[in-house]
Amino acid sequence: MNLEKVISGFFIILALTMNFGFFYGDPTVLDEHSRYELFGAIIVNLIATIYKLGDKTQLGAVLLATSLVADIQLIGAASIWALGEYVTGMNTEVVVAIISFSGGALLANIVSVILFTGDVLKSKR
Amino acid sequence: MGNNSLFLIIKRMRTPMFVLVITFAVSILGMVLIPGVDDQGKPYHLSFFDAFYFVSYMATTIGFGESPYAFNYPQKLWVGFCIYLTVIGWFYAIGSIVSLVQDKVLAAQIALANFQRKIRKMEEPFIIFVGYNTMTRRIIDRLAHDGIRSVVIEKDEEKVKVLSLEDYVVEVPALVGDVKDPNVFKVAGIHKPNCRAVVSLFNDDAMNLHVALSAKLMNKHVMVVVEATHDEYGQNLSTIGADVVENPFKIVAKRVYLSLTSPSLLMIEQWLYGDPLVLRKKDRLPREGKYIVCGYGRMGTALEVGLKRAGIDYIFIEASPEKAAKARSGEKVIVGDADDKKILLKADIQEASCIIAATKDDLLNLSIIMAAKRINPDIYTIARENHMSDAVVFKAAKIDRVIMIESLMINKTYNVLARPLADRFIRLITYRGEAWGERVVKLLKEHINNNPDTMETVIDEKHAYALSLRLKEGEEIPYNVLYRRRDDWRLENRMLILYIRRGEEEMVLPDPSIPIRLGDEILIAGTKEAFEDVGYILENIYELHYVMQGREHELSLAKKLGFEA
Repeated sequence: MNLEKVISGFFIILALTMNFGFFYGDPTVLDEHSRYELFGAIIVNLIATIYKLGDKTQLGAVLLATSLVADIQLIGAASIWALGEYVTGMNTEVVVAIISFSGGALLANIVSVILFTGDVLKSKR
Repeated sequence: MGNNSLFLIIKRMRTPMFVLVITFAVSILGMVLIPGVDDQGKPYHLSFFDAFYFVSYMATTIGFGESPYAFNYPQKLWVGFCIYLTVIGWFYAIGSIVSLVQDKVLAAQIALANFQRKIRKMEEPFIIFVGYNTMTRRIIDRLAHDGIRSVVIEKDEEKVKVLSLEDYVVEVPALVGDVKDPNVFKVAGIHKPNCRAVVSLFNDDAMNLHVALSAKLMNKHVMVVVEATHDEYGQNLSTIGADVVENPFKIVAKRVYLSLTSPSLLMIEQWLYGDPLVLRKKDRLPREGKYIVCGYGRMGTALEVGLKRAGIDYIFIEASPEKAAKARSGEKVIVGDADDKKILLKADIQEASCIIAATKDDLLNLSIIMAAKRINPDIYTIARENHMSDAVVFKAAKIDRVIMIESLMINKTYNVLARPLADRFIRLITYRGEAWGERVVKLLKEHINNNPDTMETVIDEKHAYALSLRLKEGEEIPYNVLYRRRDDWRLENRMLILYIRRGEEEMVLPDPSIPIRLGDEILIAGTKEAFEDVGYILENIYELHYVMQGREHELSLAKKLGFEA
């Protein structure tokens, strides 16, 4: 067992689960989506990104790319939230935008986890 | 990620970034969770945005104050904790960046990336020099004036720094690297089609052999030019396919031989090496009497061959008994220090006509010459100068002939790289004899002037566009067309074709009436004006037409104005 693999696997999968936790619920009702969960998803995604940095392999490069996509989508969702709350005011359009951004991040995270598990299955040790 | 320097930065920044994210996350979450009191005394929670904004300016020590409302004590307690947490995290990250900038490994990686970019962009023909010293510096400089670029591989970082301060006509990319690692050749662009040659002029023959071997293994089509002063290394080098093996001592011996037997040939040789076409007093060695050669090393053994062939009586003085023991039976070798008066007297210095100080120690050579002159003031003195930095003392010593090993190597290497036909011509004429040499010198001096220039060119589409067009149509054009002047075709320019190479066939001083063939390589001696005319005749179809027909090329008006192609 490789401790490095445990930690990076932990963060990659936690990024997906937290992302899903935030995304799940009625996309027009903001009360069904916890702001703490979004915050947690952003932080965990950032940590997962840092873990993927510096891997020179082809797979490492693709994993990093998916992680960067998830980061941008989630930070985008948080920025829209702040914009809606302090500048434009909350309406259904803003709420849907927040949730759909996190949905995009969710897809990227799913791809990331699939690649990660694929790599683990391929490895013989 | 192909770029190593970027990879290195990312790898080193992983922990600082991790620390930064964690400290920010903990601080922001705390700020959001702890309830505050607004200006109306009502409880409230900071939003994530407020908390992010506040922590961002707190952590970076910008400090705009408490926002959106003044904090209460539980909040202040948490902020106090966060200040230390985030500021430490932030400073740790900045410190890592600063130390990364100063990092030697990173600097080396960035330098390597820069070097690779320069090699990739290089379009001109270039030559790889292994080792940077006074010799290669001069060769690079001369090649740069001819439009040939150079790349340097040098082990010593200090020397590369010196190189970067040098004022060359074109930029000379340099790589810090050890040739023991074959990869440096790859980085230096040995596989590029415009890499013409690899040059290695170390004093150490084993090192040169190593370079030649690696270079040939990496790219067998590249020309390899190396120095070898020992015969066994020279043979090894030829076996592995080194194209040019230079032995400065053999050149010295050959020159001594030529100056004793056929001074005109020596004159031509030195002229092709870049000296004026005259025979100076120092080039006339005494033909009578005995020669004393001090040092039976690499130069001594080479001189032995030259002197023997010229039929000169000689004797050696060698300090090391082992070297002296290598002498073939019948050779006269005295063992002892050559600057010792007793030893010199033993070699009959009063009777000798010439002394050659040929050791590898410059100071010893000087002291030999001084000692010899004291006993026999009329003796002709020849001294070997190993390092160019000693030139001033050698000049002051009033030696009849100073043999500069380094400058010989510079001229020879330059000829091999930039004037291959002249180099080949020198080799062809060596045994033609004095009578032939005299005739050539007379021809050059009468036909051209006292100090002609030389020019090398190839008859192909790139160097002789107009001529090759006509040759391709099957026209027969003799070489004397090139002699004709552009202002009056009946007159001849001051020039002489010295040598033509046509595939395997080689012609020295060819008859000008022979026809020109595509692919001929020609070496011409002449004046600068003559070369200008030759250049026009080769390249310009109108000029070629004129010198062949004796009148201007006829063109319709429409063609002149460019209406028809």
